[in-house]
Amino acid sequence: MIAFSNVSLIYPHSTKTILEDLSCEIAEGEMVLVMGETGSGKSSLLRLINGLVPHHTGGILAGDISVNGISTRSVKPGALAHLVGIVGQNPISGFVTDIVEEELAFGMEALNVPPETMRKRVEEVLDLLSLNSVRNRSISTLSGGEQQRVAIGAALVMHPRVLVLDEPTSALDPIAAEEVLSVLHRLVHDLSVTVIIAEHRLERVIQFVDRIIYIEGDGSTAIGSAEEILKNAELVPPIVRLARVLNLSEIGTSVRDVRRLTEDIRGREFLSEPTLPVERKPAINISHISISYEGHIALKTATATIGAGEIVAVMGRNGAGKSSLLHSIVGLLSPHSGNVLVNGIDPQTLQGAARRRAIGYVPQEPSDLLFKQSVEAECAQADHDNEIAPGSTFSLLNRLVPNIALSTHPHDLSEGQRLALVLSIVLSGNPEILILDEPTRGLDYRAKSLFIKALQEFASTFNRPVVIATHDVELVAELADRVLFLAEGEIVADGSTLDVLLSSPAFAPQVSKVMSPKPWLTVADVVNSLSSL
Amino acid sequence: MNRTKDIFRFKGLATFALVLTSAVSALGFIWPFLVSEKQSHPQWIFLAAVPCALFLLFISASNGELDAKSIALLAVLTALIAALRPMGTGAVGIEPMWFVLILSARVFGPSFGFLLGALSMVLSALLTGGIGPWLAYQAFAAGWIGLGVALIPRRIRAKSELISLAFYGIVAAEFFGIAMDLQFWPWTLGADSQLSYRAGAPLSTNLLHFISYHFFSSMAWDIPRAVFTSTLILVTGKPILHALRRAHTRAAFLTPVEFIERAKAPKVEL
Amino acid sequence: MKRPLHPLTLWLWAILLAIGVVAADSASVALVVVGAAAIIVWVRADGSAWNKSFALALRVGALILVIRTVVGILIGVPIPGTTLFRIPILDLPSWMPGIRIGGAVTLERLSSSIHEGIIIATLLALFGAATSLTSPHKLLRVMPYFIYEIGITLVIAASLLPQIASSLRRIRTAQKLRGIELRGIRSLALPLLEESLTRSLQLAASMDSRGYGVSRKRSRYRPIRWKSEDSLVIALTAGLSIAMMISAG
Repeated sequence: MIAFSNVSLIYPHSTKTILEDLSCEIAEGEMVLVMGETGSGKSSLLRLINGLVPHHTGGILAGDISVNGISTRSVKPGALAHLVGIVGQNPISGFVTDIVEEELAFGMEALNVPPETMRKRVEEVLDLLSLNSVRNRSISTLSGGEQQRVAIGAALVMHPRVLVLDEPTSALDPIAAEEVLSVLHRLVHDLSVTVIIAEHRLERVIQFVDRIIYIEGDGSTAIGSAEEILKNAELVPPIVRLARVLNLSEIGTSVRDVRRLTEDIRGREFLSEPTLPVERKPAINISHISISYEGHIALKTATATIGAGEIVAVMGRNGAGKSSLLHSIVGLLSPHSGNVLVNGIDPQTLQGAARRRAIGYVPQEPSDLLFKQSVEAECAQADHDNEIAPGSTFSLLNRLVPNIALSTHPHDLSEGQRLALVLSIVLSGNPEILILDEPTRGLDYRAKSLFIKALQEFASTFNRPVVIATHDVELVAELADRVLFLAEGEIVADGSTLDVLLSSPAFAPQVSKVMSPKPWLTVADVVNSLSSL
Repeated sequence: MNRTKDIFRFKGLATFALVLTSAVSALGFIWPFLVSEKQSHPQWIFLAAVPCALFLLFISASNGELDAKSIALLAVLTALIAALRPMGTGAVGIEPMWFVLILSARVFGPSFGFLLGALSMVLSALLTGGIGPWLAYQAFAAGWIGLGVALIPRRIRAKSELISLAFYGIVAAEFFGIAMDLQFWPWTLGADSQLSYRAGAPLSTNLLHFISYHFFSSMAWDIPRAVFTSTLILVTGKPILHALRRAHTRAAFLTPVEFIERAKAPKVEL
Repeated sequence: MKRPLHPLTLWLWAILLAIGVVAADSASVALVVVGAAAIIVWVRADGSAWNKSFALALRVGALILVIRTVVGILIGVPIPGTTLFRIPILDLPSWMPGIRIGGAVTLERLSSSIHEGIIIATLLALFGAATSLTSPHKLLRVMPYFIYEIGITLVIAASLLPQIASSLRRIRTAQKLRGIELRGIRSLALPLLEESLTRSLQLAASMDSRGYGVSRKRSRYRPIRWKSEDSLVIALTAGLSIAMMISAG
């Protein structure tokens, strides 16, 4: 279906080779995963398939890519629209209209498809993706998962043979991600659509894919089945790390496979040291707050106390009230009943420098905080604002992610670098508490582990609380001491990470799914227990 | 060597259409100075003619030169400007749309600037419900302001560029004020007040009447508009120009597209 | 009375009536037309956001009427006849020669100004009525294929507005929390601009991928059809307009 022959790619005005001599053939109905570090050529590879690279972006291309026999050299991207559907990283940026039904029809209108065919296909896709209930709604009011489905629908409506998706589950909670992945699975197995997908959160997709294309930093590629590639790769999901650490004979890609291989380990008895509850001075007091806006109840009498040095994860489906909870802690939303105290102060009364010192907030879109032209200028601004020695913010940044050039424009940084920049800016204010909203979108495993280390250091060295709202279950398993689980505005679970994650099948990390009923959340837990024997 | 498509520019027939329709709508503004005694109802004729001219212009611009990148950039900037316009209401002359228009026209070119000015007027009228024949006049005036940025030489950069643009902002603000007054002159004063236009009178008489009228009516708006626009350009111009130019670069207009036969990509010296 | 009309029908109605009103040049006819328009707006309004345009147009029309009248009183060229009242004469600076504020105000002068003001206000009311009863969204959908590019640009720009509003809110929130209190345009406008420009490039890629620009001809999904009701309305209005023109001449 898709054939790459000796494909090498480099962009004009750049010396970095994106792809070096890639040759492979993808058969019809295959699901292929493209992986690599942030900044490697994943998006470029995906865009080669429908010709966006080089016709839309410019580029110097050696070799040939052909889809169903048509070479991308000779045709513009639009000419392949009936064959290749592409869903970009940020679905809402790709929407042309604001109504779901019209969005689905747009591609067909542009290709002069007759109206009766259009009606039929729109109905088909609405049914396939369960979008019938929202068909006349404004797209900007939909949830992230629904928007993602609309974007996929807009691509599917052309009946493409190939579907290409760039990080489709990054913004979704685990349940919505499952829905999207099962739709893809159905497309592959029921309709024999070829699906190419790029993802960082490998743990979600590994079990569905047939093959993996791994792009190294220097442009060279490795292609093979999941087991082959993951055996030696650096960036691997937890179950693969588990298999490596336990020296298993095979690398399993699904929970079921690895469970079969680890039966004996689970059969053994382990001494569990009772974890003593740590005494912590309360730092954040949330008592019975209720928030509602526009007739929608965001939080209902939520109560929690977060102690100094604690790392707390706030989890729940999209729309459950996570953002509202965080915003009330930082003082943005005023609850109409109850109150919040941060180290004894009402956060709404804080302003300017006092607020920076009391609360550090890393928003969902880190670039919201950046408005200077270069990394250097941002760091200098932070030094100035917080009245610290010039260069301190930058050295913080260097410790997190080294080798960032001072003159780089902040928007040219990769996701991980941008997060590190914002984190250093926030940390340079030496805040008493640290709040982060969905920080790990778009981060690969290495960037994530650096980030985890930085946060653990902050919490333990200064004995200050950290509150993170996230969907990333693996992150929670590694990092958090405690989990607050929200559903429909109420805190339905509040306990240690171990207790909360183990009790919810959808939100359990991979290791615990494999090792259930043993109380282990991460690979490190397993290793510790084994070594204590 | 192949290149990706360039940003929208008026070419060939479209340029001719631009000149022709601009001439018609220019007449729509200045006919009081040119009309002789016996024309019947010139204001109604032009009230109908100028919207038709705008429509014709839009038809000629929709000729395939507008590709996806130009449309996307145009749409985003149009939306931003249209969103900015209502922020000025209540305060005399505080109109934030002009500095964005002028800076965008500087980066993306005068043809783009013309469409940006015209379309942002149309969009904000669509949103606020102010659709009527006067809209076409406003669209042309805003379009000419975008087009006029071509008068500033391309090679000027840095400080002198900002100063030239700020100066242009002052000129443009006054130009818009005069254009709006010209448009409304026959309507608010009619043909029989002492400051009205006199059909067939010498140019000096009509000019005097108009300037007096302009002085009384919208000078109060022109000066704050000029000051506000040029100040914004001077204060925010550098980072905004920078952001717009980055987008221009990332949009990869006229970027080389090369296909090579060799198996390994060459080490390109650039 | 509530059946949906084609978006252009009411605009044609407004234009035809406007021509009639101008040709008839009679204030009483104009006032009747305004009254009819008001009734139509009142009956057909469905509570959408743009329904307020008519009231706004009436206000602006009234304002123009007032301005015309005041201008006529103060600096109108005198029309001899029955004097109604006198305004003290104001002396103006020497560089505004030949202009005298004040003097006698005659009935003919006053009625002439009011008459013209009413005609203009009627036109505004007609266009306001058409605007208030037509969804801008539907208007964009019936754009003919020869201005498709411009039309689609407006459609996209209109869909971007809610996104821009939510981005602005988000950025304002984040900036406040970085302790930047109202540092003004630069800290708010720049992230918004950068984000919007980035989105536009992603949009362009998405449009190209979906086949935009490949085919010159385009089809319409669920086209809005021109129905018999529309033709009826236009025919009636045209008849009315012609009657008004004949009655004047």
